[in-house]
Amino acid sequence: MRKPPKGRGSASPPSSRVTTEKNGAKTAARFDRLYREQVDRIHRFAQRMCGPGEDAMDVVQETFLNAYRGLKDFRGEAQMSTWLYSIAARACMHMRRKRKGAPDRELSLDEFIPTSEGEFRLQVKTDGLTPEEALANKQLKRGLEDAIQALPRKYQLVLVLRDMEGLTAKQVGDVMMLSERAVKTRLHRARLFVRRELSARGLASPSRAPSGKIEG
Amino acid sequence: MGRRVVEQLHPGHGKAGCLKILRQLSAFLDAELPTDICKEIRKHMGACPNCEVFVTSLRRTVNLCRHSGYHQLSPTAKVRLRAQILKAVGRA
Repeated sequence: MRKPPKGRGSASPPSSRVTTEKNGAKTAARFDRLYREQVDRIHRFAQRMCGPGEDAMDVVQETFLNAYRGLKDFRGEAQMSTWLYSIAARACMHMRRKRKGAPDRELSLDEFIPTSEGEFRLQVKTDGLTPEEALANKQLKRGLEDAIQALPRKYQLVLVLRDMEGLTAKQVGDVMMLSERAVKTRLHRARLFVRRELSARGLASPSRAPSGKIEG
Repeated sequence: MGRRVVEQLHPGHGKAGCLKILRQLSAFLDAELPTDICKEIRKHMGACPNCEVFVTSLRRTVNLCRHSGYHQLSPTAKVRLRAQILKAVGRA
């Protein structure tokens, strides 16, 4: 911030006040547009990270609050949505710390290597149905949500951004400040984790079911 | 440990074959691998039912993630949230 010229006191001159007010109005207008265009996207992301409920709403609020404060410094080097995802991702991490959830752990590829023939052949049961139809089954939908919530946060972030929000690996890397290679490594482990969780919860069967229906 | 189990499961099938597949599955599903490696993976799957089932299960998992739904934010909730944010930054 520029200092007022010597001998004129600390109060801002009227022209400076007008400029500040103009800038404030400009930021408010930019924020309104940003909020209108992105609130659904960030709400969807927050739900996928935190589950539906108050936590997701808190993440949305914290995200846009921080976005408002940072808007005047946003130069547009990144896409607006990528910038917002970064803020939202930090808000999710913050929420996790507040909730004192389990600490993040590394997922090793070895833990996903099947150790028996039966485990190798565990199938995610969506027989004959499209993913949308399969997800109409509440048990499967809940199982998927639980599996995603059970992921260590840094793996969950990659999976949600890449497979659910549809970002490219490069964009996910930009959001998380990771290389594309690291994104792909985490993504693979996250997918293997979710696959295993779905089967462990009885949502998969060792062989293909003859009917087109999902059990449960 | 994993490597030994896979070798036991598929004697004579190519020792590291299944493990190699498992390591590259996401890249395979995302069509990020060179054509010759994709061909090799498909060939392996044709001869290894376990890997084929595993690939299918992972593909289904990814498809479920891609199509998972979410609750829409109601117009009232959007207005309320916006008001709370503006109040917090002192512009309400």
